Amino acid sequence: MATTEAIDVVMPQMGVSVSEGTITKWLKQQGEQVEADEPLLEISTDKVDTEVPSPGSGVLTEILVQEGQTVDVGTKLAVIGGDGAQAQAPSPPEPATAEAAAEAQAPSSAETPAPVAPTQPAPAPAEPEPAHSTNGKTFVSPVVAKIASEHGVDPSQVEGTGRGGRVTKKDILGFIETGAPAESPTAAPQPAPAPAAAPAPAPAPAQPAAPEPPAPAPTPAPAQAAAPAPTPAPAPAPSAAQPGETFEPMTAMRKGIAEHMRRSLDTSAHVTSAIEVDMSKVTAIRAKLKNEYQQSYGVNPTYLIFVARAAADTLREYPWINGEIRGDQIVTRNYVNLGFAVELADGKGLIVPVVKNAEGLNLLGMARAVTDIAQRARDKKLLPDEVQGGTFTITNPGGYGTFHGTPVISQPQAGILGTYAVVKRPWVVQDDLGQDVIAIRPIMNLTLTYDHRLVDGALAGRFLRDLRHKLESWEESTY
Amino acid sequence: MAELTYLQAISDGLRTEMRRDKRVFVIGEDVGVYGGAFKVTLGFQEEFGHWRVMDAPLAETAIVGACTGAAIMGMRPVAEMQFADFISCAWDHLVTVAAKQRYRAGTPVPITVRLPSGGGFSGGPFHSQNPESSFAHIPGLKCVCPATPEDAKGLLISAIEDPNPVLYFEHKHLYRRIKGEVPEERYTVPIGKARTHRDGDDLSLITWGAMVYTAEEAAQQLESDGVSVEILDLRTVLPWDKQAVLDSVRKTSKALVLHEDTRTGGFGAEIAATIAEEAFEDLDAPVKRIAAPDTPVPFSPPLEKAFIPQVDDVVAGLRDLAEY
Amino acid sequence: MAIAREAEPVGSLREVREAGLDREDLLGVYRSMLLTRGIEERGHILYRQGKIPGSFYTGRGNEAASVGVATAMGADDVGTPLHRDMGVHVVRGVEPWRIFAQYMGRADGPTKGRDGNVHMADSKLGLIAMVSHLPAMLPVAVGCALAFRIRDEKRVAVGWFGEGASARGDCHEAMTLAGVRKLPVVFVCDNNQWAYSTPTHLEFATEHVADRAEAYGFDGVVVDGTDVLAVYREAKRAIEKARDGGGPTLIESLTLRMEGHAVHDDAFYVPKEMFERWAENDPIERFRGWLRENADMSDEEEDEINADVKKALNDALRRAEDSPLPDPSSLADGVYATPEDLDTPHHK
Repeated sequence: MATTEAIDVVMPQMGVSVSEGTITKWLKQQGEQVEADEPLLEISTDKVDTEVPSPGSGVLTEILVQEGQTVDVGTKLAVIGGDGAQAQAPSPPEPATAEAAAEAQAPSSAETPAPVAPTQPAPAPAEPEPAHSTNGKTFVSPVVAKIASEHGVDPSQVEGTGRGGRVTKKDILGFIETGAPAESPTAAPQPAPAPAAAPAPAPAPAQPAAPEPPAPAPTPAPAQAAAPAPTPAPAPAPSAAQPGETFEPMTAMRKGIAEHMRRSLDTSAHVTSAIEVDMSKVTAIRAKLKNEYQQSYGVNPTYLIFVARAAADTLREYPWINGEIRGDQIVTRNYVNLGFAVELADGKGLIVPVVKNAEGLNLLGMARAVTDIAQRARDKKLLPDEVQGGTFTITNPGGYGTFHGTPVISQPQAGILGTYAVVKRPWVVQDDLGQDVIAIRPIMNLTLTYDHRLVDGALAGRFLRDLRHKLESWEESTY
Repeated sequence: MAELTYLQAISDGLRTEMRRDKRVFVIGEDVGVYGGAFKVTLGFQEEFGHWRVMDAPLAETAIVGACTGAAIMGMRPVAEMQFADFISCAWDHLVTVAAKQRYRAGTPVPITVRLPSGGGFSGGPFHSQNPESSFAHIPGLKCVCPATPEDAKGLLISAIEDPNPVLYFEHKHLYRRIKGEVPEERYTVPIGKARTHRDGDDLSLITWGAMVYTAEEAAQQLESDGVSVEILDLRTVLPWDKQAVLDSVRKTSKALVLHEDTRTGGFGAEIAATIAEEAFEDLDAPVKRIAAPDTPVPFSPPLEKAFIPQVDDVVAGLRDLAEY
Repeated sequence: MAIAREAEPVGSLREVREAGLDREDLLGVYRSMLLTRGIEERGHILYRQGKIPGSFYTGRGNEAASVGVATAMGADDVGTPLHRDMGVHVVRGVEPWRIFAQYMGRADGPTKGRDGNVHMADSKLGLIAMVSHLPAMLPVAVGCALAFRIRDEKRVAVGWFGEGASARGDCHEAMTLAGVRKLPVVFVCDNNQWAYSTPTHLEFATEHVADRAEAYGFDGVVVDGTDVLAVYREAKRAIEKARDGGGPTLIESLTLRMEGHAVHDDAFYVPKEMFERWAENDPIERFRGWLRENADMSDEEEDEINADVKKALNDALRRAEDSPLPDPSSLADGVYATPEDLDTPHHK
């Protein structure tokens, strides 16, 4: 029968806000001949009820939507003409499209069997920016510059994944977090051979849940990771890797540490004194407080906390050890800002968060402060201000049982206290009768590395003596 | 909670206030017997009478001007422009009289003007515009642009309650297409507070009105690229929630502003400029705008489709930013 | 051909009493007219002294028209007076010192220095501040009347406009809406024959502006705007008719603007003879003569009123000059109303 091109009958849009319509009556039956503009069906919408005139002439080959059904504007309701001369079973309505809806409103007649579908839309208003080609590597966005400055990172050392190799915010944050380019798994470093002299990587010092005696131990000395690293002298071009060697680019943080360590040794006259401390009283008090601290406050009173607490007090009595040389002036303070060397994951760096006004904290306050900054240091959530302004540093390289070390001073401070493993040792003490006897006592070695330009050996000795005294005569009520 | 269309939510909000407060009345063309061109006030005249649901002559100046006078006399008029486009006829009364009266004469003008706006259905140059940015430039006015049925009701009640002239842009394309849960009781949605339509970490997409849904579709596509897009539905363009925008941009460092209004001088320009001024150091890419091109709204479907920002345009813009 | 009714002048004291004014009221009207002119004359002096910033507009020649209509208004009626209608502010009770403070941009002016000239109003006295876009206040006045009608209150709104502004669409739309809804509003056209430099025959083609009233379905009347009693009587009729549900009236009050459009304008375009002719009809002189002739105003009474007005002006000026200039830090205050702003009698 009909061999003409099929004409779709669609649900018209009866007003700009109308989205659907209901078929109330088909005025023609399937198989009937219809003429263009002849009433074909009746519909009802939210706004108006109306007749729909036929969009063309031919046989009503298919009725796809039955009376009583509600469909979206633009839905195909029926087909006129086409090859489907035989009536077919109604198939489900097709979803509406904007174009279809628009077509429905376009005039049509027998001469123009079907409205021409709109052609491709004109170019979209939003044109992509032309790709940045050459300057991607060197252009630093404001946020990347800010992060770089806060973390002392040179953005040119970061592998960029942005357009043209630009360093994105994600790149630099990933770099700081892992010390490697953010999305560059190919650059995964191989485990470096264990350094001969340096202590092995260990967990950060103030970890509350650290297993007993020794508090963990990081690398020998802290580096002020937050301070922008001065541009290092141009390194000699690396020669090719020898058999068995692997090259790994130095991270900006590592470069900063290296520069700082070298500069500190070049600046201060490092001398180290050591003292042995009987930690019996501390051990006893600690055992007593531990449960309470953990249950009530969620912090662990580690040995480090006791040492820090005692050191803060002692420093008040030794202002030069809490001081610095600035030009030809000696700076002393009426406060103690205590830095704690915290190792970042995988031994890939150090950061020294600072507990400000440590002299005002009691034991619990110190435990909370140190736990907080250590945790946030590991979570990369330190604020820039929290790694600056230290007046004295404590490093805790006793984690693996080391009993002595010579840390490097964090510039421009005048001293750094090293704390080492608490070890049970035979110890000569006096019994009640004043007789010397050998007892088993928990002993901790402490070292004070000081800048001999400012601090004399005798002063350092007295400092260590007083610090030992505070620890050995610890009274719970005092703190 | 009941599921209402956006349009029903507007009616519901208006009816709620008219039942609660006798000072509230509606005036506009064909709002009475006919129930309004879009049937927002269908059945209102039967309930509230012809003085509170008042068919006005075809005189937008008189409608808005009379609302101003009635408001000064203690009423809470709600004017309906048949289409937002016709507000140009009442510009003087909003901008010259109502907006400035509190500042210069101390007289508050608590009027609400409902503005069926937006395109997407071949309304042509005079039934499709989004003139919010013109009014966002006028100190003394407030402009709200709800996108969801819940906000449509809550913001309308806030607008009526507000002691200032509030332009309420209701998007025609959402009227019957968008349905959502709407609390049955009276509630308000604060004017000037944005809504996080979708949480994300990588890009901030700031938009309002019908573009919220375009943005949502685009964001879903970006999700499959592994890019997480935060959509902020501004809800109010004057006063606008600067803090919410800055907070989002500081988090993601990349911002795209999307609006259906034309580009030059569109409200997106204000947002982009503010981000540049106040969050410069947090940016990791230039602020991007997607808006309609600077033409009148065309009638024919392919032209109109090219005019109104489409999902694909937004996807392209988001990808471009993501790759930057 | 004129369509509007042309009002007769008022003759006798008895006729005035019937319209609601006793002898005491009449002396009060005279005093208000003197005060109105005095404020504007002092304003000219202040302007030439450099104490008034911007430009300066007055309504010389319109004192009878403004005072006459305002006197006919009830205490609860409201109005939107314009820049030739100082008499309305005076009759409604705006204190002259606040008007001078307004002129000089001081903090105590009704707009606190945010607007100048007669762009002011005390809403507690039932007045709404005008804008420059004339006649934008007509739809506003219609809206006031609409509020009264919705609430079924026996109150009337008076909207002023000029013959120039009658050309604008606001006028047409306002009168259309008022007409179809028979709202309690009185439209007062101050026809001072010059819209800046444009004469009436270039503003409208009918004989009178009031002829249009017929087309909107209400009454129009033309009255001699230099005859305060005739203005009063016509305004009273129109206001009471509106109050009783009779719908709007358009009153056209015919005067001559006796100065330029503003202080910078010497009105060279107005024929000299026209000024001379209208100067013979000075509204204050005219009413003074009427009072002496029909109400036996004595020399003593006149002297007393003159002295009283003079003192009021001197006191007001002194007080206004003591008012501070606004603090620039207050610039951004009050762009938006707060709910507390709605704590007014109108919003109860």
